[in-house]
Amino acid sequence: MKTRREFLQGLIVSVGGATALNACSGAATIAATAPGQRGRFYTGNEMALVSRISDLIIPRTETPGALDANVPGYLDGLMTDWASDETRSNHREALQLIAARLDAASGDFLSANEDTSIRVLSELDSIAFSGGSGLGGYRSLKGYITQAYFATEEGAMEELKWVAVPGRWDPSVDITAGD
Amino acid sequence: MTDFDAIVVGSGMSGGMSAKELTERGLKVLVLERGPEIVPERDYTDQLAPWQSPNLDNVPQDEIRQHYPKQYGGVAYAIKESTKHFWVKDDEHPYEEAEGTNYDWLRGYHTAGRSIMWSRQTYRMGPQDFTANKEEGVGVDWPVRYEEIVPWYEKVETFIGIAGSEEGLSQLPDSVFQPAFELTDAEKSFKQKIETTFNGRNVIPARIAHLTDATEEQRSLGRSNCQSRNRCHHGCTFKAYFSSLNATLPAAERTGNLTIIHNAIVKGLDYDPASNRVSGVQVIDAETNERRTYTSKVVFLNASAIASAIILLQSKSEAFPTGLANRSDQVGRNLMDHVSGAGVAGIMTGFDDKTVFGRRPSGGIYIPRYANVTENDKPYKRGFGFQGGARPLGNAGGQIAGIGRDFKEAHKRPGPWRFSVLAFGEQLPNPDNRVTLHASRRDRWGNPVPIFNVTYGENERIMQREAVKDAKAMMEAAGCINITSNDADLSKPGNRIHEMGSARMGRDPATSVLNGWCQAHDVPNLFITDGAFMTSSACQNPSLSYMAFSARAANYAADLIAEGAL
Repeated sequence: MKTRREFLQGLIVSVGGATALNACSGAATIAATAPGQRGRFYTGNEMALVSRISDLIIPRTETPGALDANVPGYLDGLMTDWASDETRSNHREALQLIAARLDAASGDFLSANEDTSIRVLSELDSIAFSGGSGLGGYRSLKGYITQAYFATEEGAMEELKWVAVPGRWDPSVDITAGD
Repeated sequence: MTDFDAIVVGSGMSGGMSAKELTERGLKVLVLERGPEIVPERDYTDQLAPWQSPNLDNVPQDEIRQHYPKQYGGVAYAIKESTKHFWVKDDEHPYEEAEGTNYDWLRGYHTAGRSIMWSRQTYRMGPQDFTANKEEGVGVDWPVRYEEIVPWYEKVETFIGIAGSEEGLSQLPDSVFQPAFELTDAEKSFKQKIETTFNGRNVIPARIAHLTDATEEQRSLGRSNCQSRNRCHHGCTFKAYFSSLNATLPAAERTGNLTIIHNAIVKGLDYDPASNRVSGVQVIDAETNERRTYTSKVVFLNASAIASAIILLQSKSEAFPTGLANRSDQVGRNLMDHVSGAGVAGIMTGFDDKTVFGRRPSGGIYIPRYANVTENDKPYKRGFGFQGGARPLGNAGGQIAGIGRDFKEAHKRPGPWRFSVLAFGEQLPNPDNRVTLHASRRDRWGNPVPIFNVTYGENERIMQREAVKDAKAMMEAAGCINITSNDADLSKPGNRIHEMGSARMGRDPATSVLNGWCQAHDVPNLFITDGAFMTSSACQNPSLSYMAFSARAANYAADLIAEGAL
């Protein structure tokens, strides 16, 4: 079976873009932290919280979930390698606020059962997206989780069916059941 | 005996065309590029998949603050971790703004310049654009008329490749086209409703410099049709969109007459009063600071409107104490851009069962100028075109309510269709809008730092205010809901990256720098064919016009050399 890169190279040659060949080499390496451990930025507790929230927001279904795609590790890399001190500080404060609110609603969010976890996070999410104040940090976290998931190979390829080289533009495609 | 027949300063949009035309006429040409070489196989990043760029492809925030505050502030959408090497670092290439003014000087210093990062919207100017100054008593009269440029538009269009549709509009003449990117259903509905409701307004497919039916000549340069990836800001290994690196420079190269030197910053031009000619081009090596002088029969400045003006201002002599070819005192003045800011968006209902396949690379719809063309009741001069389009909004930003399976799967659906338009308006020439040189501050190569003093006038403010009203009315007529606008918060001068006018052409040497051939009135072997020559800005994206005038001037200069006049 061909890898994606081999597939791309074959396609590029077939449509005549010979100069593309070497462009497939030297892809960036993403410095993501492995799940379930203290991160480069996150403490152990923060990593556990981000992991739990990521799993609840984007669970494994017929396709990989946020944990399968190592979204918590991606976010740990994002905070370490991309974020400024100000962004890191805001993110850390947001996690503390989110943890406090979820713990207040569930007793101890990280040890709560599945139903309770889903219920309290859904309530928090609902408040955050209906104009609730003080939850900008949660919306930001949810944005990071979602964008990171769809930027991984699992999220882009298996969930979104991202196509590297569409090869054509069709401005009118009917959405049918099952699409 | 000179080192070369011609020296072209700059390898971007217009410099590439100058070099192509001059070399194809058999002249030995040296292209001086101030930045490093771009090698597509090494430097284009369009083949990276989303997961191959770290940090969501974002440039680290501290790095933006240190190196890209102006560039990123101006075009955050284009400056990614995988594309930042196409943009200058502000701390290495500083400039200043006069108190109370702002200017976005957004640049790429490398082979092909900004032709690698442009947005590829490609339109001719119309007959009205060449006569408006004279009719209204604004600025100076263009020394040429539209009809004189038509053959050069056709020549350039055939070579570069433009996807577009023939519309027969007098104010926006058709180009030589390859098939257009077809409108989406929502755009077709918008077009039908606008053209029915507003007599004289048209909604047409954006005209973009992408190949959709590559010619034999284009294929011979290694170019192929657009693959609808929309990765253009990363370079294009299919060479499907026009850039000088994808087209004009390879065409020049294959003549065997091209020499290109990188990291060559032009410090100034030597002037010989005895012959009244530019006698040499002084260069600083950006990496070693070594200084050299190259000679040629003719010099083309294609460094960009601003940089070409700066080179002239730096080239002082006894004969030209305020800068070469500046007896008119117009060098650096009349700096224009397109004024923007009137942006309106809304949701189009009724298309939720539709989506698209492929990623259209640029544009969508274009609404050609109607103000003071088909509608003559406007409280402002000139006019604007709207760029825009309709696309499924999608949900990928994560900013919708819900968690779990439903939230996850919502991202697979296209979401509602959002229609947006943004006005690009003409800026009137004003001699007080200018770039000058700092008296003492120097960059790392010892060249004076430029100072911008550019503001918009009342005409631009009124125009954009009225454009917002027009856009809202059209959105309403098209049946959009949730219409939002930004109340015409004007773009910063320079932000549309269409700077022009800083060495305008005109009929009178006392009031203009160049004649109708882009040739300096004061110095016959000096030509400027980047945006500096523009006598007025029109409202169309200008790159095509820069290239048409470049091709025309290059062939004129080649004729003069052949006649022994230069």
